[in-house]
Amino acid sequence: MNDLSAKIKEVIEGEPVALFMKGTPQMVMCGNSLRALEALRRAGAPVTAVDILPDPAIRQELSALSGWPTIPQVFVRGELVGGADIVEELEQSGELERTLEDKLGAGYRDARDEKTVAVL
Amino acid sequence: MLADAFPDATQLSVEDRTGTGDHFLVTVTSSRFDGLPLLEQHRLVNAALAAPLADGTIHELRIKTKGTA
Repeated sequence: MNDLSAKIKEVIEGEPVALFMKGTPQMVMCGNSLRALEALRRAGAPVTAVDILPDPAIRQELSALSGWPTIPQVFVRGELVGGADIVEELEQSGELERTLEDKLGAGYRDARDEKTVAVL
Repeated sequence: MLADAFPDATQLSVEDRTGTGDHFLVTVTSSRFDGLPLLEQHRLVNAALAAPLADGTIHELRIKTKGTA
């Protein structure tokens, strides 16, 4: 495993909620990334965002790890939840909040954390 | 491609969202999805479209799946 792949894996496994997106929460560069981010915000999730745009290798290594071809990708406690369509649908049905509670504990909303980390 | 992957689909539509032939909304209703979590349902659609996703023919893909059960 190369350094980049290892770093991506570290974020996926180490962060409560990891969002791989185009751009950053402050400057979202894609409608689908925005849909995923907004669904996570509505659910009160602590979001750790990774911008995949700085280098095409990030997306390649990420998709190789996750087996998911498109961006965005959302992980909770190391497990892939899905892309924008799934996260939005799960948020609307209330299932996303249940998953977050199950995996992060009932007080997960208190963190209200939103940060961006770099993998390069 | 999708028809091959979902021969039993009761609904199968592909909408070119931007008219540019690279942003699509795919809607599939199939018994293959019955009992599967949403993530696995979408994985099946992604797998059916793996080639055009990999070579960039599909720039953006929205997926809506439904089981028949």
